[in-house]
Amino acid sequence: MFGRSRSWVGGGHGKSSRNIHSLDHLKYLYHVLTKNTTVTEQNRNLLVETIRSITEILIWGDQNDSSVFDFFLEKNMFVFFLNILRQKSGRYVCVQLLQTLNILFENISHETSLYYLLSNNYVNSIIVHKFDFSDEEIMAYYISFLKTLSLKLNNHTVHFFYNEHTNDFALYTEAIKFFNHPESMVRIAVRTITLNVYKVDNQAMLHYIRDKTAVPYFSNLVWFIGSHVIELDTCVQTDEEHRNRGKLSDLVAEHLDHLHYLNDILIINCEFLNDVLTDHLLNRLFLPLYVYSLENPDKGGERPKISLPVSLYLLSQVFLIIHHAPLVNSLAEVILNGDLSEMYAKTEQDVQRSSAKPSIRCFIKPTETLERSLEMNKHKGKRRVQKRPNYKNVGEEEDEEKGPAEDAQEDAEKAKGTEGGSKGVKTSGESEEIEMVIMERSKLSELAANTSVQEQNTTDEEKSAAATCSENLQWSRPFLDMVYHALNSPDDDYHALFVLCLLYAMSHNKGMDPEKLERIQLPVPNVAEKTTYNHLLAERLIRIMNNAAQPDGKIRLATLELSCLLLKQQVLTSSGCIIKDVHLACLEGAREESVHLVRHFYKGEEIFLDMFEDEYRSMTMKPMNVEYLMMDASILLPPTGTPLTGIDFVKRLPCGDVEKTRRAIRVFFMLRSLSLQLQGEPETQLPLTREEDLIKTDDVLDLNNSDLIACTVITKDGGMVQRFLAVDIYQMSLVEPDVSRLGWGVVKFAGLLQDMQVTGVEDDSRALNITIHKPASSPHSKPFPILQATFVFSDHIRCIIAKQRLAKGRIQARRMKMQRIAALLDLPIQPTTEVLGFGLGTSASTQHLPFRFYDQGRRGSSDPTVQRSVFASVDKVPGFAVAQCINQHSSPCLPSPSPPSASGSPSGSGTTSHCDSGGSSSTPSAAQSPADAPTTAEQPRPHIPDQLEIVNEMEAEARPSKNSARGAEVETAHLSPSLLPAQQPTISLLYEDTADTLSVESLTLVPPVDPHSLRTLTGHPQPPTPATACPETLDEEAACAEPAGPTEH
Amino acid sequence: MTYAYLFKYIIIGDTGVGKSCLLLQFTDKRFQPVHDLTIGVEFGARMVNIDGKQIKLQIWDTAGQESFRSITRSYYRGAAGALLVYDITRRETFNHLTSWLEDARQHSSSNMVIMLIGNKSDLESRRDVKREEGEAFAREHGLIFMETSAKTACNVEEAFINTAKEIYRKIQQGLFDVHNEANGIKIGPQQSIATSAGPGACPRNSRDTGSDSGCC
Repeated sequence: MFGRSRSWVGGGHGKSSRNIHSLDHLKYLYHVLTKNTTVTEQNRNLLVETIRSITEILIWGDQNDSSVFDFFLEKNMFVFFLNILRQKSGRYVCVQLLQTLNILFENISHETSLYYLLSNNYVNSIIVHKFDFSDEEIMAYYISFLKTLSLKLNNHTVHFFYNEHTNDFALYTEAIKFFNHPESMVRIAVRTITLNVYKVDNQAMLHYIRDKTAVPYFSNLVWFIGSHVIELDTCVQTDEEHRNRGKLSDLVAEHLDHLHYLNDILIINCEFLNDVLTDHLLNRLFLPLYVYSLENPDKGGERPKISLPVSLYLLSQVFLIIHHAPLVNSLAEVILNGDLSEMYAKTEQDVQRSSAKPSIRCFIKPTETLERSLEMNKHKGKRRVQKRPNYKNVGEEEDEEKGPAEDAQEDAEKAKGTEGGSKGVKTSGESEEIEMVIMERSKLSELAANTSVQEQNTTDEEKSAAATCSENLQWSRPFLDMVYHALNSPDDDYHALFVLCLLYAMSHNKGMDPEKLERIQLPVPNVAEKTTYNHLLAERLIRIMNNAAQPDGKIRLATLELSCLLLKQQVLTSSGCIIKDVHLACLEGAREESVHLVRHFYKGEEIFLDMFEDEYRSMTMKPMNVEYLMMDASILLPPTGTPLTGIDFVKRLPCGDVEKTRRAIRVFFMLRSLSLQLQGEPETQLPLTREEDLIKTDDVLDLNNSDLIACTVITKDGGMVQRFLAVDIYQMSLVEPDVSRLGWGVVKFAGLLQDMQVTGVEDDSRALNITIHKPASSPHSKPFPILQATFVFSDHIRCIIAKQRLAKGRIQARRMKMQRIAALLDLPIQPTTEVLGFGLGTSASTQHLPFRFYDQGRRGSSDPTVQRSVFASVDKVPGFAVAQCINQHSSPCLPSPSPPSASGSPSGSGTTSHCDSGGSSSTPSAAQSPADAPTTAEQPRPHIPDQLEIVNEMEAEARPSKNSARGAEVETAHLSPSLLPAQQPTISLLYEDTADTLSVESLTLVPPVDPHSLRTLTGHPQPPTPATACPETLDEEAACAEPAGPTEH
Repeated sequence: MTYAYLFKYIIIGDTGVGKSCLLLQFTDKRFQPVHDLTIGVEFGARMVNIDGKQIKLQIWDTAGQESFRSITRSYYRGAAGALLVYDITRRETFNHLTSWLEDARQHSSSNMVIMLIGNKSDLESRRDVKREEGEAFAREHGLIFMETSAKTACNVEEAFINTAKEIYRKIQQGLFDVHNEANGIKIGPQQSIATSAGPGACPRNSRDTGSDSGCC
């Protein structure tokens, strides 16, 4: 223990660096302190350093040698600290000292060491020292110091801070004086300190907190919160053009902070503290300010009010966050069953009766500052202590016999406060009366509710459900009235969203007594014995769904999702679904509407598939979190359509065709899922790609009769492996031979064709760069490449074959999925008459997808139908279709060598596909396929006519069939017979993603040498940026176009 | 004490990863790390210079307050920068990053700069999390990454200062509303004076530099 700490050197010249961590060095430092009792300009650095070193030694001692504490204590060294502080030695010394103390208390880990430091009450003297709190740094260090101390509080250490006999608890009372400090970090620290204090299970201390500080602190806190709420409301009311969003979101976050803080206090579950807090929250804030504002805004005269949406929004937050049963139940009681106008009249009476004093249930400013209240209470306490020296014992008894007696005592205290003129809040008698009134009223409404439910049960079979409900429920329930009214608004869902949130929040509140909600047939989740539901509400919800499915519906996705949640909650029980047929029929109607809506967009765009899958992914991976929704201030402002606000897509209306498409898809998903769930049917069609259907790594496949291409795969980190490339319907895979079975292969990698990019390698005609991205799963992460490698084949022909196969596979995979979407939307599947005409093409394609067939027969791996879907998508690309058409018209720049990569899904297009600017990288290598000749030979026809024709599906399909024959001939002419299976070359190079151009090309997909497709071999202007791409490529294109002409025509 | 901007940071991460030691190492060099002494601190402030501007960093450690949800969420929101720390010798601290990050993203302003820090890089022999893993995590989530050692002070300066640079860059891009203090950024008192009288601010700052040099 001593060995290490003993040092000879410490005594004399303390500067010795040999062992600064020793008792001797501490002695030396003590010596320095005694020589410098007065702080001067000259010695202040020395003093600061001395104190710092002492701290270091103490911490070292705590970890290594506790004897230093004996010395520290023996010499009363803390006195020097205090002495230095008190000399008004200036900011510098103050900050240093506070920092040192912070470090000291933070790092002491042994309880005994802590006792040493705390034992002489010096720490309390430092706490009450009047620092210059206007200095931001002193303030920060000071509050951190208090926070550090509060983290050391427990049932033992609390006695060093709380003095029962003098009723002093400086750590706590000094801290709460800063509860409304302008600096947020300080406020947070104060909250931390209070929570750390409440957490300590020391009855005497907690009694002190309740009796002496709770009323002043909570009433001030509540006022502080309420003032923010009024500011928030003003912010909403005065907003123009969403300019207040920034400030609004701060105020909302502030409110949430407060609610979470209150909830943190409540869940410490210190019962009598909770009573005081609940009382204040209910009667000073939630009821008078929030709930009464639900009432007709014209009533209420001068009383502070907030607007209906704000009130609904804030109440939702309250119910989402606070689950303290007494609080939420009382609040819900008033909201659900109370007659608000009556409530209001009552308080009016109160005011009249005691016009001199403000009524109890009222949002008013505390008549004095917290600091003064604390001061008063302290003196009061001292008087009492004088009178009753055994106060502590009394307190303990009190604790045991909790209940009414306690309340009485509390009231009596408050009454005293009033007499003293200090609080002027209420008299105990008054408060009791009011409470009784509430009781009576709630009993009444309980009765009413019961009768109404009974009535309904007996009658609603005969009468129309809606009529019954409305009759019974509207009767004395202004809140429900308001709810139904808000849900009924045809113009927008501004109020509806809040109402739904509030209903959701109340019904999911853990503290809520389920009976309360059941009485008015509000949805309670997971109740087994549910037999009825609130028909009126259900109808309103279904109406919202129906509205959402209209082309120009004003229902935001969030509102719709919430409606679905609430409806499910209402009618789904553990034993099944109890929805009435008539409601189900209405719901089916809405679903049908949503199908129509999507169909309208389906014919739109090729990128539709990516959107479709992406929407599904984001919807299933990020289901609605109502709590997060209600954290977003932006929904407080009236719904808007523009994304320029930065408001999340689901919380605003769509803007432009792309967003309208996304919205339509989502509505479709939601209503489809709801409808399936209510009918107890499983989802079998979505997602389009199910993990379990896919080939996975280490699967063993029968590859006999499959087309396999040997290649060397060079990964980015330089790894090099020999693999066989196989292309399946949806995936490409890399396999190695299975040693145990001839002709079988083990999958080493499998990736979706649809997410693949294939590009040539500039200086190596035998190599391809292949990248497969995994779609981004969260908005913060980028699409993640699961494969990024160079594939080297044995010769350039095999390379081309591979490329074509991959590219075609990609297109086909996508078509197949489009087909399935068509099936989902009940779109007619195109008759497959063309199949015959395709002869070669189709057979080639089946050969080409050899080793695994999904049950796709119906969706047709047969090309014609697939093509149909692509053609169908031609006529309209939301957002940019028109521009493109025009562009192509004006400059038929198709044969330009610029790669046709585009818009998110670069197909395995000819050359280095990935350049966004379109014109740049024309890597010829890949394009120099044998098919190249026909390609260039192709006549660049203006595209527009094609596109227009394509709308007509018959035409569109007729062409490919025609072409296929021609194509085959040409192809065979150029390629050696062995290469025949690779007959889909041109296509592969096509860019298929953008509807217009692609579609044309896609005609050629199967038949190899369609002239149009050939053009694309050399490349295509990049569709999304046609304006820029075309000018750049004009020259090249012209060059290509010239030779093309003669061959074909 | 004048400064052009004040940036508020928070430090988050599992207990025992060395958050408070990093903080002390950065804010007060006089406490030299020694083998038999670990010292940390929960709050610290220091002036740094970025692009010729005096910037004060105020760093709040959230340690010990995790049990109160209200506290952590408030901290996140009030900060312009966050150091997310894990211990390279304890894999579980790395595994918990996701949930820390989720929390941070949920509660903070979207502009908050988050730096991922793999601490205790001096303990190479006991390393449990590869540097590349940290890098990959950072890349995937859009964070800045660095390995530090609070013990040897390696990269500690850089971690705090690079974060500040990033925040400063965002201010200049107009991403932060500097007039909204809720973002964790504050404009210094009489900023015009502070910038024009840059040298005048020096004597005051000499406190920091003075104390730093005193122990370096």
